[in-house]
Parts: sequence; C-alpha cells; structure tokens
Amino acid sequence: MNAKLAAAIGWLAGAAILAALSLTLTGYHADLFRKLLLTATLAVGYNFQFGFAGQIAFSHYAFYGIGAYAITILSTRFGLALPVAALATIGLSALLALMVAIPANRLEGFYIALATLAFAQLFVVVMVQGGDFTGGPDGLFGFDAPTIFGARLAGANFMLVVSALFLANLALFAALGRSWFGRACRAVRDDPEAAAAMGVDVARTRIAVFTLTSSLAAVAGMAYAFADNFVNPFVFGIDAMFVLLFMVLIGGAGRHAGAVVGCVFLFMLPEYLGDLVGRFHLLAYGILMVVVMMFLPNGIIGLWDRLAKRLRPEPAR
Amino acid sequence: MTDLLELAVSILEAGGIYALMALAYLVVLRPTGIINFAVGEWATLASFFSVATLGWWNLPYIPGAVLALAGVAAIGALTEQATVRPMIERGAPILTPILILLGMVVVYREAAALGFGTQNLRVPPPLGFGRIDLGPIAIPMQSAVVIAVSGIMLAGTWAFFERTIWGKAFQAVAIDRVAAGLMGINLRLVAAFSFAGGAAIAGTAGVLQAPLTSAHYLMGLPLAIKGFSALVIGGVGRVEGCILGGLVLAACERLVMRYAPIPSGFAIGVPLLLMILFLLVRPTGLIGARGRT
Repeated sequence: MNAKLAAAIGWLAGAAILAALSLTLTGYHADLFRKLLLTATLAVGYNFQFGFAGQIAFSHYAFYGIGAYAITILSTRFGLALPVAALATIGLSALLALMVAIPANRLEGFYIALATLAFAQLFVVVMVQGGDFTGGPDGLFGFDAPTIFGARLAGANFMLVVSALFLANLALFAALGRSWFGRACRAVRDDPEAAAAMGVDVARTRIAVFTLTSSLAAVAGMAYAFADNFVNPFVFGIDAMFVLLFMVLIGGAGRHAGAVVGCVFLFMLPEYLGDLVGRFHLLAYGILMVVVMMFLPNGIIGLWDRLAKRLRPEPAR
Repeated sequence: MTDLLELAVSILEAGGIYALMALAYLVVLRPTGIINFAVGEWATLASFFSVATLGWWNLPYIPGAVLALAGVAAIGALTEQATVRPMIERGAPILTPILILLGMVVVYREAAALGFGTQNLRVPPPLGFGRIDLGPIAIPMQSAVVIAVSGIMLAGTWAFFERTIWGKAFQAVAIDRVAAGLMGINLRLVAAFSFAGGAAIAGTAGVLQAPLTSAHYLMGLPLAIKGFSALVIGGVGRVEGCILGGLVLAACERLVMRYAPIPSGFAIGVPLLLMILFLLVRPTGLIGARGRT
C-alpha cells in the first residue's frame, strides 16, 4: 500500500512539474522542452524494444517520420479532420510495422538491424524523391497548427499535450515491463529457446513488440509534425537513430529511468558544451558512447544504483 | 553495342568498389563474428589520408596510396586493441563490441570532419584524366585503375585465404574458434590482423573512390550500405561471394539508373531493396560459407 501511494505521488509530482514547465517556459526554452519531451517519448519506446525485448531495430526514427509525414499529408493534402487523420495515421503505421515485423521476425540477431536500417534509409529516399507529394528534400511546411475542441494546438497547449503523451508512454511501458508480457519479452531477449519451452510464443511476442513500439513512435511523430509545423526528411535519418540508440545505452538499456536519464543527458549536453565543442557534439556523443559501453555496461543508471547501494546502510540479514 | 560495353565497364568499376567493401566486412566478420559498421568510415579516412599524401605532400601515387592504407590499417588494429579486445577478454556478449564499433563510426567520422573539414576535397587521379581507346569504346583512365586495382586486391585476398597457411588459420578460426585456439593458432593475432586487413581493404575502396567523387566526410555510410548489400547478396562466407555480390549489385544499380523510368534519385534505393529482398528470400546469399558457421 505504501509503495503504491509513493508511486502515485511520484507520478502526480512528475505531471505537476511538466505542467508547470509547459505553462511557464517561453521562446527558446519552450522549443527545447517540447523537443526533449518528444525525444524522451521515443527513447522510452525504443528502450522497450531494444532494452526489454532485445530487438536491435534501426527503424524507430523512420516510424517517427512516417507518423509526422502521414498526419501532415492526410490533413493538408486530403483535408481530413485531425482526429480522422490521426486514426488513419495510426492504422497506416501499425500496418507498415506489421509488414516489417512479420518478415523481419525470420531473421537472426543483427540481421534485423540491417533489414530495418535498409527500411529506414528507404523511407528517407522515398520522402526526398517524392516530389510535390512529400515536398522533396525541402519537406512540408507552411501548414497551420490544428485546433481541437476550440483550443489551438500551439504554445503551452501543445506542450501540455506532449507532456501528457510522454507520461502516457512512460506509464504504459512501465506497466508493460512489470506485466506478464514484459517478462515474456525479457525471456525472449535472453534465451528464445528457453522462452519457447516455457510456453512463450516467441514469434508473436517479437511481432507484437515491434508493432507496438513502432506505432507509438509514429504517434510521437504526429505530435512532432506540429512542433514547428515543419517536416523534413533528413530529420529522420540514420544519425538521429544512432543518437537515440546512444541515449538508451548511455542511460542504461532495459531501465525506463535509464532511457529518460540518457535522453536528457545527451539532449542537454550540446546546450552546455556548445561553446566548448562547437558543432562537434556528435564526436562527444560517440566518445561517450564508447567509454560508457566499455566501462559502465549498465549505463548511468547502473552507476547510480551502485552509488545508492553504497550510501544505503546494509539491511540486517 | 558501344552503349552496352560502356555500361559493362561502369558495372565492373562500381562492382569492384562494392566487392572491396563487402570483403572488408567479411575479413572482420568471419574470424571475430563482429559485424563492423565502421568499414565505411575506414574508407573515408583512407581517402582523406590520400588527400594528404597525394594532394598536399605530392608523393608519387604508389607510395602515397600505400602510406594512406598503412595509416588506416594501423587505425583498424589500434581500434581492435583498445576497444574490442578488452571486451572479448572480459567475456562480454558479442553485441557489446558491435555497439562500440557503431559508436566508433561517429567518432571516426566526426574526427575526420574535424581534421579535414566538411567540404569536398579533390584527389588527383593516378594516371590523369585521359581515356584508353579500346576499339569501339574509350574507357576513362580512373575506371581502368579502379577495375585493375580492385581486381588485384580481390584476387590477392582470395589467394591469401585459399593458398596460404595464414589464410587457412583465418578460416579455421571462423569455423571453430575454440578448436583453432587449441591447435595453437594465436587468436589475438588473427583478430588484430583481421581488423588491420579489413581497414586496408575498405581503405583501398576509399582511395579508389576518392578521385571519382572527391573525398567527403559523409562518403562512408553509402559505401558501408552498398558493401553490406553486396555481402548479403553474395553470401557471408567466401571472397567469391563478395565479388559476385558486388557485381550483381552494381549491375542492378546501373541498369536501373540507365533504363528504369523512375527519377534517378530512386537508384539510391536499389541496394536497400536488394538487401531486404535477399535477407528475406535467401539469407544465405548466392554462395554459402564453407564448413560450420
């Protein structure tokens, strides 16, 4: 009972802090805040896919892009009402995710990474070459922020929506991680044969994880489309995907807190290192990634766990 | 007829470079089990080194190119020593070095951009810009160089694996690591040489590519993807597979560029589509590996 109460207080406090930030931040800081929340939403989902289920997929950012492009094209080119366009986008991305997941499920280990990398690169190629329909290399811009229930989805309203999206993703994946499904995912990651012997349907678990996390990346992408009312193909390229992977690994793969910590850390690093490293923050990311993988295999959150254990008095046995 | 012959030359040229990239993966992958995405960046580094040795220091072509390749081979061996070996010896899962090398991709690339800038750097072609007259067609000199050098390199690697005791040691490690170690093969030396060799082979592709498109810090990823597609098409096992994969990939790409009624930009998608197709339909590639994998 006590733990449940503490957890509820934690969630409420988190929601209150995010709401307060949404209502007070302006200008550059507001921009930073909403992009950070969107990236953190992606990181939490990717952490479930990579850290919990062990799928090294490089398609997460592509699905983010699919969500952003689909909602923009459906609502501006086809003039669909926003809720209809949103539902259609979710349906489309879930379908695409299934189409990738079912054949990819037959591939072993790192080959999934290559197939999804090829898929992600193809997405960028098609968007760049799509002519007027996708806006080509310039992307899509000049569309208006949507209005829902009379509230314009911009400024503080938008940040509140993104905050809610982030918390909903975090809560969903935290609950899933503790559930039967989460344990099945970890079993499949650690030893698929043993998992199958214990009655876990390995193929179905893998396909479900891929489809769920990819569709939720697309949902985050729908929100991204209205962050700047601007969608550009190169935002969803392989570099962004690498950085997302680095975030999860540096924070601590397989831990929700790790994904969030890693995301905040890498996202804010260029802000503080800006003068020191100039445009070479990617170099800093790369070095950090190599060092963390070599010396802190459990990431920042693993380091935190060790420190906390040392500070806390040993319980009597 | 002329058209077709010119097409054949451009396929041989591109196919040679793709085959070298595929081989660079293979040389590291077979003995160590590591899929190393840094090969594209090794090609980038070597082409930048060739800018320095050939363009800035004006060395003669062969010493200049060899120096550039030696530089990148040293980087490959050092990377293995510093990042991969400690992980293997600690008994970390094989995914750890793969992810570390993914981090090294970014490190190499950004370091190259820091050292050589982000603009295109031209590299002088070894035999100038002339053409060789061959009956109905005239081959650009650099195409002839690319075809000749990649051919020699591929034949040399094939001979190394098939005809020398060292090559047999590599094969033995690939087939059964533990047994090979027990037979007295120095596993550390094999790993170090596989990284140095992979870097030199990828570097050759980079040095050959540089006079064609000039050196640029982002040239690595396309080469890495094409090399991997060629590897998947040909089969992860033997040098012949790399050559076949490189040629099939180049043929598909060039034929699509020439004849398919789609915007030429979509041709970038050809290797990606072929890779997906082969992974799904024939994951062992056209030529399978010898022995147990």
